[in-house]
Amino acid sequence: MVAMRVRLGRLELENPVLVASGTFGYVREMAGFVPLARLGGVIPKTVTAKPRAGNPTPRTVETASGLLNAIGLDNDGIEHFRAHHLPYLRSVGTKVIANIAGEDEDQFVRMAADLGEEPGLAAVELNLSCPNVSHGLDLGVDPAAVGRVVSRCRQECPHPIIAKLTPNVTSVATVAKAAHEAGADAVSLINTVVGLVVDWRRRRPILANDIGGLSGPAIKPIALRMVWQVHRAVPGLPIIGIGGICSSDDAMEFLVAGASAIQVGTATFADPTLAGRMVDELPAKLAEAGVSDVNAFIGTLRSNKD
Amino acid sequence: MQAVAPECARQRSVEVIENVRIARDTYRMRLLAPEIARAIRPGQFLMIRPTRPGTTDPFFGRPFALYDTILGASGKPEAVDLVYLVIGRGTASLADRMAGDRLEVWGPLGNGFGPPPEDGGPVTFVAGGIGQTPFLALGRWWLGSRGYGDPPEHWSGARAGSAELLYGVRTAELAAGVEDFREAGIAVTLATDDGSAGHHGFVTEVLEDRLRKGRRPAKLVGCGPPAMLGALARIAEREGIPCDVSLENQMACGFGACFSCVVPMRQADGSVDLRRVCVEGPIVPAAEVAWPIGDGH
Ligand SMILES: Cc1cc2nc3c(=O)[nH]c(=O)nc-3n(C[C@H](O)[C@H](O)[C@H](O)COP(=O)(O)OP(=O)(O)OC[C@H]3O[C@@H](n4cnc5c(N)ncnc54)[C@H](O)[C@@H]3O)c2cc1C
Ligand SMILES: Cc1cc2nc3c(=O)[nH]c(=O)nc-3n(C[C@H](O)[C@H](O)[C@H](O)COP(=O)(O)O)c2cc1C
Ligand code: FES
Repeated sequence: MVAMRVRLGRLELENPVLVASGTFGYVREMAGFVPLARLGGVIPKTVTAKPRAGNPTPRTVETASGLLNAIGLDNDGIEHFRAHHLPYLRSVGTKVIANIAGEDEDQFVRMAADLGEEPGLAAVELNLSCPNVSHGLDLGVDPAAVGRVVSRCRQECPHPIIAKLTPNVTSVATVAKAAHEAGADAVSLINTVVGLVVDWRRRRPILANDIGGLSGPAIKPIALRMVWQVHRAVPGLPIIGIGGICSSDDAMEFLVAGASAIQVGTATFADPTLAGRMVDELPAKLAEAGVSDVNAFIGTLRSNKD
Repeated sequence: MQAVAPECARQRSVEVIENVRIARDTYRMRLLAPEIARAIRPGQFLMIRPTRPGTTDPFFGRPFALYDTILGASGKPEAVDLVYLVIGRGTASLADRMAGDRLEVWGPLGNGFGPPPEDGGPVTFVAGGIGQTPFLALGRWWLGSRGYGDPPEHWSGARAGSAELLYGVRTAELAAGVEDFREAGIAVTLATDDGSAGHHGFVTEVLEDRLRKGRRPAKLVGCGPPAMLGALARIAEREGIPCDVSLENQMACGFGACFSCVVPMRQADGSVDLRRVCVEGPIVPAAEVAWPIGDGH
């Protein structure tokens, strides 16, 4: 038996397997594919203060081992989420982490406060990084703004706070440090990498939104690098690794690089039962690594230069 | 329109029994998949992952409509036939598969067609491009020669008096499965863009001609390029003929998780909202679509 329980600040999970916001619908869509109660936790699609129609189509386009998306946070708003989705989410038998995005700092704080009143939530993940909705600069690229949002959300909301960071910055460690100092229970790394797909014959970008966020196996090395960097630069900050995870071997790579938990994202679209299988497969992989507790494996990657 | 959670959908590795060319760039693939074959209904679809073994490309599944189910020795459905046109990386990868290869599939997905008109009147299917594929199984069911899956709720057992397929393709060589339709008792009239077979012009012109001559179906069903479906919807509205369409949108998951596949749909309160084709469709009443729609890709 390998002990699988992990702790991220005030958040405790039965096992490190989570599913990424925006890639698991509102969770009910996945009930036929994944034994939900066996996951470490679920993260439904981002909710915003007001309903958002999202972007026109095409919203996604396949790339070499990846996906470029500009969904645009299509959702029915927080009121609908509380009335319609939360009751179902509370019934699935695993930890539920709500994911929110505000258009500005105040909106984040108000939504976190609203969700703070809701029982049955394990944590709130702040989507500080969606590249598809920002008017100008993303809040998530400014360490000071990230620090302010995290600390205000912590004050207003009793649930653990996870800051989901963007990779589209020069130094992700600086932003992660700001989140840590502001009291984030964990950071999620990474959201999608901004990209462009072009049809040169039509001389047009393929996505209706022109640019989008790249995800899937294509971004895994970027995500791993960022997880490892933050793990080394910000000791004591729990990390949730995300980016191109398609197998339990991929998950092991993130754990060893310093992630205390992982999220299966885009891979679910192409392999809908993956997250459930991963829960079954990880103990054997950890046993192969010679540990009886996942925590003895997390962050044990050694540099070739040491 | 009620969202259908794909609770019965499962991901499976299935065996390719046959993958044969039936027209230019067009193949019929037969998959040994008894559970899917017994559950799937006309208008529903499967996602097939075309990823080449040992690689991550092409990464995402591709949606394909049920063409027909094949009965095994026991008389129960045992295999599923799909008919596909090679247009890009995913379908090209599928065309390379041989009998004995295995593929990851999930389904049945989507809502499927409703029952035929109560009055037993004639029905007309209007297809463009590779849009003929859902109409073989639908024709068999509505004509009463075959059953598929569990009979839907609210079906009185009514049958269509007759069924015909108006089938538009760019050129005659692309017309696929015409004999299958005729054998199933579905009359086929072709239209081609280049005049190489049948009517020289749009398939909707064939329909207009029928209507002018007083040949009025009790129900219209369309599948094909969005511009054709939009034209069909206008005709149906003008004539007051009930019309459903099967939408072919770009999909990444097929089960409602990614929000790629949305189309603008008129809501009961008159507003327009973007809805997921994979769970609220692909079959929708033509009158509820906020035409014109893009081709989603
Ligand atoms: C519910 C449903 C049922 C379908 N049933 C069938 C069927 O029975 N037989 C069949 O041949 N096809 C069917 N399609 C279309 C089929 O899924 C696409 O042709 C296929 O996904 C293209 O994959 P590809 O990798 O070969 O092309 P890609 O490389 O992805 O694309 C090649 C070109 O086709 C366009 N394209 C991409 N997706 C679609 C799409 N969904 N529809 C039309 N064009 C697209 C791309 O924008 C590009 O221009 C169905 C689609 C849906 C949504
Ligand atoms: C279609 C799609 C929609 C997404 N929507 C959201 C979202 O609503 N909120 C969010 O925080 N992240 C969203 N993401 C980002 C993922 O949660 C994840 O961080 C990213 O895709 C990288 O992981 P992956 O490569 O495993 O997908 C989305 C990603 C995709 C592909
Ligand atoms: S294809 Fe993913 S939601 Fe419809």
